Amino acid sequence: MASVESQSGDVIVFTPKASKPPPPTTVGVLGWLRENLFYSWFSAIVTFAALYLIFITFAALYQWGIADAVWEAESRRQCLDASPHGACWAGIIVWFNGIIYGRFPLDEQWRVDLGFILLVLWLAPFWFPRLTGKIGIGITAVVFYPFLAGYLFAGGERGWFMQTMVLLAVTVFITNWLHIVVSMVTGRSLREWVVGVTGFADKHERLHKYPMLGFQGIVLIGVYLWLGNWSVSEVNTNLWGGLFLTLLISVLAIVTALPGGVALALARRSHMPVIRVSAIAFIELFRSVPLITVLFMAVTMMPLFLPPDFQLNKLVQAIIGVCLFAAAYMAEVVRGGLQAVPNGQYEAAKAMGLTYWKSMNLIILPQALKLMIPNIVSNFLGLVKDTTLVSIIGLYDMLLMLKAAGQNPIWIGLHTEPLVFGAIVYFILCFAMSQYSQALERKLKTTR
Amino acid sequence: MSEEVVLSGGEEHIASAISEEVVITFEDVNKWYGEFHVLKDINLSVRKGERIVICGPSGSGKSTLIRCINRLEPHQDGHIVVNGVNLDANVKNIDAIRSDVGMVFQSFNLFPHLTVVENCTLAPMWVKKMPLAEAEQIAMKYLERVKIPEQAQKYPGQLSGGQQQRVAIARSLCMNPSIMLFDEPTSALDPEMISEVLDVMVELAETGMTMLCVTHEMAFAKKVADRVIFMDFGEIVEENAPDEFFGNAKVDRTQLFLSQILAH
Ligand SMILES: Nc1ncnc2c1ncn2[C@@H]1O[C@H](COP(=O)(O)OP(=O)(O)OP(=O)(O)O)[C@@H](O)[C@H]1O
Ligand SMILES: [Mg+2]
Repeated sequence: MASVESQSGDVIVFTPKASKPPPPTTVGVLGWLRENLFYSWFSAIVTFAALYLIFITFAALYQWGIADAVWEAESRRQCLDASPHGACWAGIIVWFNGIIYGRFPLDEQWRVDLGFILLVLWLAPFWFPRLTGKIGIGITAVVFYPFLAGYLFAGGERGWFMQTMVLLAVTVFITNWLHIVVSMVTGRSLREWVVGVTGFADKHERLHKYPMLGFQGIVLIGVYLWLGNWSVSEVNTNLWGGLFLTLLISVLAIVTALPGGVALALARRSHMPVIRVSAIAFIELFRSVPLITVLFMAVTMMPLFLPPDFQLNKLVQAIIGVCLFAAAYMAEVVRGGLQAVPNGQYEAAKAMGLTYWKSMNLIILPQALKLMIPNIVSNFLGLVKDTTLVSIIGLYDMLLMLKAAGQNPIWIGLHTEPLVFGAIVYFILCFAMSQYSQALERKLKTTR
Repeated sequence: MSEEVVLSGGEEHIASAISEEVVITFEDVNKWYGEFHVLKDINLSVRKGERIVICGPSGSGKSTLIRCINRLEPHQDGHIVVNGVNLDANVKNIDAIRSDVGMVFQSFNLFPHLTVVENCTLAPMWVKKMPLAEAEQIAMKYLERVKIPEQAQKYPGQLSGGQQQRVAIARSLCMNPSIMLFDEPTSALDPEMISEVLDVMVELAETGMTMLCVTHEMAFAKKVADRVIFMDFGEIVEENAPDEFFGNAKVDRTQLFLSQILAH
């Protein structure tokens, strides 16, 4: 009851009571413990039992993995002699390079590192606040980066097409970063800056693209003079392996799965029967077949459908298989997201005169993708882990390299440590993705 | 419900500026949803500047009728001509017609991932290719007209229903349409918000906009409508000037309907 006091006459004035703090036993660490762990004698026993189980598990792990572990040895025999019940991390250290790079030649491994560093640099602007043109940067990453990375990894002679794409990729990379630097320093986009410097600012807006094209042309010429004759030696894809191969396949699958899935999902909702039926057939076929079957089919049957003088290697075939499989799964996730966007949104977009593609890109997909983030990410996690299946068709991904360690005569029998190490690497990758997606979701929720 | 709503600026009918030019024509229009005959032999012509209120019981085809005007729903038989363009299966430029016909929905249908001002600038920028600065200027002009310029940077989810519907009206007006369609714009709103939306619509009527409103707000109809249309079972049952319609309806079905909603 609110406290009330009588004023002159019969008007009653309402004054809210002041808030009091809650009782001390319900807040703070003690309150939390009491409420969650020890609210009855039974819960106290369960709490202690659980704590004890956790303790003995970790104690045993600590004993094996750290206290008794051997960090330096020449062979597994030496490991066992030094400490028969400890982990033999020495083996992992010796095999570390192979686990990361497969059989990629030692002298060329910088190319793999450079490839991944370039990817990180290419995508880093996405996390810069207040930068314009992020979508353009993302598109260039999908369109140009794969050629640059592909050449870095594979090397060899460049045909005219590869030459063009590599030079364009470097040009785009440089202009992207010039754009970022100019934006950070002057607060204007590179395009506006170039337009200003060349004195086009007072010309009609339609002419503004020319100075920028000219600027990019100059950079391209510079890149040509710099890298036109640059080349790296060929590394056969048979030698690619380890974590490098795992990440390569995963990243390619992730990058193609989303656009592929969106395209398939839209096709499945199309009003044109041929498109709709083809999409349904494709999605249902790939979803009803295990990935390993898809991989075997990709390797053994794809050559039958291709012209005889156009043969792909096993890695490319496997990657195509994984990408198609991933796209089919993603299509259903996207379809679910599209269905969750209320019909009124489609109608409002239509009623304003937006075309189908504009309303999809500006209104429907942004909302659907936001709703789909948790599903998309769990799909990606599944994909990263599913790539281990390529080891069955003989690609030396990380899992196969880990197994190979225990089959080497000097390290024969070294099975547990590589698998534990592999588990840790996968855990770090997947846990990071999952945490990132949750952070992203929280961030997007605040703007809703 | 009509008793509760008080429109500012009195009750008397506001002056209309109807020109001779016919902007919408329905000619023997029939429409089916599957087997269900939802519009039956509709004939109607709307002149520029005319304000028409459509009422009728639920399921009578009111929404379907006005959604045919921007071809959110296709019709199967007869002719609909909007601004001189015949809407049929091979209409070339339906998006151009839609950009000239604004529509306000019962459920607002604002884009929740965009701010209020982004909601308003989206179509001018992407359909009319207007530069951002100009689109924002126009958006602010109309947000002021609907009396919520201070909400421009908020997201629709942060606004009350009445405010959202006013944003939806501003969003349509930003395309500078020649015709506005309203499909029960106030029926999802709490009573105290209805009049703020109706006031905006009355002001819009005063500017001479061609308007078709599906609504049961009789005070609004009396004040604004040049013609009131009553529909039932997919037919236009009665079509009359508001005084006649409310005082002296000719058809028994109309009288029954009016007695039901006025008795409320
Ligand atoms: N997409 C659809 N498919 C099949 N039937 C439909 C569809 N849309 C509407 N209908 C039916 O058509 C009839 C008329 O619908 P409409 O929405 O035009 O009615 P209304 O007069 O606007 O009613 P309300 O006052 O409830 O909005 C209703 O019986 C409805 O069930
Ligand atoms: Mg309706």
